[in-house]
Amino acid sequence: MGKLTGKKLILLGERDGVPSPAMEACFAGSGAEVVFSATQCFV
Amino acid sequence: MPNAAIKSTVYCLNHTPELGLQYGTTPCLERRDKPDSPFLANLPGFIQPYEDAVRYAPNLTYIGAMTVEQLEEHPLPWHSNLASAPIRFGKYGEIMPEDEFLGLLDICDVFDLVWLETSFAESVRGKLNAHPVLDAEVLKRLKGGRDIAAIRDEIAGKAALPLYFAGEVVGCCRRAHEVDETLSAHVILENLASKAGGVLALLHLLKKAGMEPGEVDFLVECSEEAVGDMNQRGGGNLAKSIAEIAGCVNASGLDVRAFCAAPVNALITGASLVASGARRNVIVLAGGALPKLFMNSRDHVKKEHPALENCLGSFAVLLTPDDGTAPVIRLDALGKHSVGAGASPQAVTTALVWDPLRKAGLNFADVDKYAAELQIPEITLPAGAGDVPEANAKMIAALAVVKGQLERAAIGEFVSRHGLVGFAHTQGHIPSGVPFLGHAADAIASGDMKRAMIIGKGSLFLARMTGLSDGASFLVEASSGEPVGSLTRDEVKTILLDALAELAHTLRAD
Repeated sequence: MGKLTGKKLILLGERDGVPSPAMEACFAGSGAEVVFSATQCFV
Repeated sequence: MPNAAIKSTVYCLNHTPELGLQYGTTPCLERRDKPDSPFLANLPGFIQPYEDAVRYAPNLTYIGAMTVEQLEEHPLPWHSNLASAPIRFGKYGEIMPEDEFLGLLDICDVFDLVWLETSFAESVRGKLNAHPVLDAEVLKRLKGGRDIAAIRDEIAGKAALPLYFAGEVVGCCRRAHEVDETLSAHVILENLASKAGGVLALLHLLKKAGMEPGEVDFLVECSEEAVGDMNQRGGGNLAKSIAEIAGCVNASGLDVRAFCAAPVNALITGASLVASGARRNVIVLAGGALPKLFMNSRDHVKKEHPALENCLGSFAVLLTPDDGTAPVIRLDALGKHSVGAGASPQAVTTALVWDPLRKAGLNFADVDKYAAELQIPEITLPAGAGDVPEANAKMIAALAVVKGQLERAAIGEFVSRHGLVGFAHTQGHIPSGVPFLGHAADAIASGDMKRAMIIGKGSLFLARMTGLSDGASFLVEASSGEPVGSLTRDEVKTILLDALAELAHTLRAD
């Protein structure tokens, strides 16, 4: 059981940094539930 | 494979802080929701005046009044180390003041939607009469003006939006339909602002290229506005409406949309049309994005930093068949961020940089400069978005390390040698690699540069149709010296050999 098992995640990505789909891929299999995931752009 | 030549490039700015204060998305929403907020009250005190905008080093670099190398050496912070003298016109274009831009809005309006107050219209006419690229035919479109009382009636009773100059109402933009939200005054103003920027860039391009308007064959427009009505919200062809104002009577056009990746995709589209012979010449262009004015100003005001997002950007590029002399867009080594490529920075950079390099048989160091996202760092850093051009160059350097073409310790040197400083306003599609095209084409033509890569990235996920982003890229380099339509040495050899064989056959038969 990992440290994130049962946790809920809010992922906010940035297009020219780390976008949220990349973060989702990192957390896949961590046991955490992604409840919100979005990428933003400020440029 | 035939390529397309970059024959001429134009870059213009329209200094429009009052349009930004009223109709930039950030201040506009604040005014609606919190009209008494300290941010709104303080924002005007952080605005850069026109007199400073024409001495601001990134602006001067954008219009070609400074080189990129000069900008790199210019002391920071740029906003308080202004150039010694104001420069309105550079070799690529100009920085137009707001009153003249309101006149240009009126010129671009063919449905009597922009009303300027009579004396203001006269004042603007006097200034535009002296403008180097607006001829009498264009100026005939500037209307005579309206009484200020009529303008105030439109604003008070008919949902028209006031237009300001020097803090005074000098006109209005009217709605184009009573119930259709896609033709509201706000949407019309955004679309006209983009159209006007495109027209200005096109007029400069025609003059710079020595081209008559009637010689233009086709335009590809690539801004981020949707023009249409409630039954076809993004109906499009802003390109043709821009061509009409500039008198390009023999041209038609189309619009390309892909968020900030649109200009690179539009240039690839235009270059393909020209290289295939389908169009004699193509002008790729875009005006600016009014909603993005002062987009990050909340952070700027909070940090008591100048609110520099005060200019609409525009550009125009003339593409012609490869003539053997002008720099070319290579069509045999294009980059694209495909659906299945993945979203990680490494995956995006692989698709946009590594794949085209591999197709062209090149190494990372074979490209002198990578132009990917050229936002002015003084705008993005205080807003927490980092130095975007530098971040992109670091990603390219990191990939070069992964591919075994660069030592990890040399990343910093690679970034400073092959990356670029940002000199474009946060106008979405405008900074997306394309502002470097003019500088690159000049440097390649003079022999100071061998090759550049132009990279555009688009935030498709903002439209909520997909979670994906997008991107496209192309290489710019010197022409191989073999114009489109000419024969290569090998082709000549083959023809000669065929002729000799035929002659020998004939002689034998005799």
